[in-house]
Amino acid sequence: MIAKKVLLVGNFGVGKTSLIRRFVLNEFSEDYISTIGVRVSSKILKVDSTEIKLLIWDVAGTSDDEKVPKAYFMGSSAAMYVFDLSRQETYTNLEERLALVKQLSGLKEITLVGNKKDLLTEDELAVVLQSISTHIDLVTSAKEDDNVEDAFLALAKQSLN
Amino acid sequence: MKSAGIEQYYIEISCSNRGQINSILSGSFIRSEFENASSIFNPCPFLEGTLEALALNEALLMEGMAIQADGTEFFTDVELYKSQKETLVLIHNRSNVYHYVKELNQGKNDLFFLKQELDKKNTELEKLRQMADKANKEKSRFLAMMSHEVRNPLNVILGYTELLSKEKVSRKLEGYIKNLTVSGRNLKVIVDDILDLSRVEAGKLELSNDPISLSSVLKQIEENYRSSHKDQKVELIFNSSKSLPKIVLGDDVRIYQVITNLLNNSIKFTPQGSVSTSIDLISSDEKEATVSFKVSDTGRGMTADQAATVFEEYKQNELNDNRIHKGAGLGLAIVKRLVSAMDGEIYVSSELGVGTTFTIQISFKTVIEASSKENPKEPVLQENHIKGAKILVADDNYLNRSIVEHILKREEADFLLVKDGVEALDALKAEQFDIVLLDINMPNLSGEDLIKQKEAYEKENANTPFIALTGNSSKQDIKGYLEVGFVDVIPKPFSSAQLVGILNTNLGH
Ligand SMILES: Nc1nc2c(ncn2[C@@H]2O[C@H](COP(=O)(O)OP(=O)(O)OP(=O)(O)O)[C@@H](O)[C@H]2O)c(=O)[nH]1
Ligand SMILES: [Mg+2]
Repeated sequence: MIAKKVLLVGNFGVGKTSLIRRFVLNEFSEDYISTIGVRVSSKILKVDSTEIKLLIWDVAGTSDDEKVPKAYFMGSSAAMYVFDLSRQETYTNLEERLALVKQLSGLKEITLVGNKKDLLTEDELAVVLQSISTHIDLVTSAKEDDNVEDAFLALAKQSLN
Repeated sequence: MKSAGIEQYYIEISCSNRGQINSILSGSFIRSEFENASSIFNPCPFLEGTLEALALNEALLMEGMAIQADGTEFFTDVELYKSQKETLVLIHNRSNVYHYVKELNQGKNDLFFLKQELDKKNTELEKLRQMADKANKEKSRFLAMMSHEVRNPLNVILGYTELLSKEKVSRKLEGYIKNLTVSGRNLKVIVDDILDLSRVEAGKLELSNDPISLSSVLKQIEENYRSSHKDQKVELIFNSSKSLPKIVLGDDVRIYQVITNLLNNSIKFTPQGSVSTSIDLISSDEKEATVSFKVSDTGRGMTADQAATVFEEYKQNELNDNRIHKGAGLGLAIVKRLVSAMDGEIYVSSELGVGTTFTIQISFKTVIEASSKENPKEPVLQENHIKGAKILVADDNYLNRSIVEHILKREEADFLLVKDGVEALDALKAEQFDIVLLDINMPNLSGEDLIKQKEAYEKENANTPFIALTGNSSKQDIKGYLEVGFVDVIPKPFSSAQLVGILNTNLGH
């Protein structure tokens, strides 16, 4: 079986840890315990009949122009950039932020995920999506288990490229 | 040489480039997790995928890696060095340091979210405040408009009632008319109160700042009550201190209103005993005098709860009070607002069954002006100049016109009534008048526009005084009318005495 190292990055508090917890343990907590450093969990999943062991790096969130340490990306096959649909400052300048992650990781594509969909009405969501010009892969809710599986599937697919 | 203690904070491991542990080189940090020949990926999942990618002969530092051992989570800094034959892994336990980092970081991030919540709440609050403000303004505007609309017909009712009361009628009718008069006057008090209150609330109340005598104001009030207060069981006592400054700068009309409102309130709730009103000096210097106005009664008093809400709108001590006592319960609310508009303060102290005392403190600017009129507001007795005077009256409202007609007829004036500005202009071109009463809001040509067309009637009426008849009687409005050329303003609703007084004054000049 092949193992693939993938990272979740993005602003603090956007729900990276929550997405991983939902995906790996099917759990969710309203409490916010900010991640420090790196915590790795893994889950085996099948992408088109290929079994993959996904090694998921939960990286401490960044703020403003903090960078994720370049060393973390060593050997990574894919990365997910998570933003919070309910917090504008987590999705301004997405192009720039994605470019920075690409540069640090050497990856060509980054999976872009907007989380906390449950906090927005349909109309509000439409407005937010309208305002973002970058292609968003998935809109998720870790809380309501909405699209979480699909987001990691997209990430896994990307790790195979 | 390493000291014994430091061993437990690190471990140095040699493993194959695919992660199989060869040997422990030094250190004892969580040593039992690392068995020879087992995979280092089990205790160190972060090395899986990473090791293979390492460049040869280059050190790599990875900070903050979490390791689970014996149910405890450690935070470590990990150094990696890969050569052809092996990979060296040096793990430093930094849990102590990361413990503080974690707390600081959590604090920082929690603070961020708190602030965000706060901002959101503040925005909501601001929105609510704006809505409330707007609603309040709307309310005031509505009230002002309403009472304005009510005042006109009320004027008509009061006018006709006054005319009726001068006719010879049966006893029965006389009684009816009396009731009509009382109710009409009460209604006028209420409407005036509402208008006042809404003006204050809309920030439209303008206080004058003229030289006035406080003791004269009180004397006027006393005289006023001497004729109207017939209740033998309640004695009215008035007293103004000798040490009061002769002249201060203020608004005597509003002070009169404040004291009268308090006095009426006290009389209302005092079945027997006394109501005493006094003005005293608290302190003064060359520039300012702080004065207290006190109205105390021996009435039924209030509980502390009642006293606490006594200045709120539409509050009377009991629901039924409205029916027993006249007014809409706005008097004290107006007093409170007027006093604050004068930068003063008002307090109430009360004891159930013993009585109530209202105390007001206001600081006035003083003037040392010998020429100031001691009694600026005292009415002067006039002779009748109206008899035989040629008067033009323009008003589009039939009822208003007929009230004026009755009054002028009674005063034996020589008058002409017209019903709009155009007719008035024609009349002004045709003959000379001693005085002209112009309604402001008239169709075709408003009173204001008419007076501006002076050239058109210059030949006959170049020097004729024009008086505005209007419901718009704020200071600002009056100033505007005087500016365009009116010599005086008669506010609607007016009493016949008022109309006669103003006509007399202006005809006498
Ligand atoms: N309503 C809602 N809340 C969510 C969702 N995902 C996460 N949260 C909440 O958002 C807060 C932050 O979630 P985390 O998963 O700790 O965020 P993070 O990106 O790991 O944060 P850092 O570790 O500080 O970078 C927590 O209080 C979560 O309960 C979601 O989909 N919907
Ligand atoms: Mg986290």
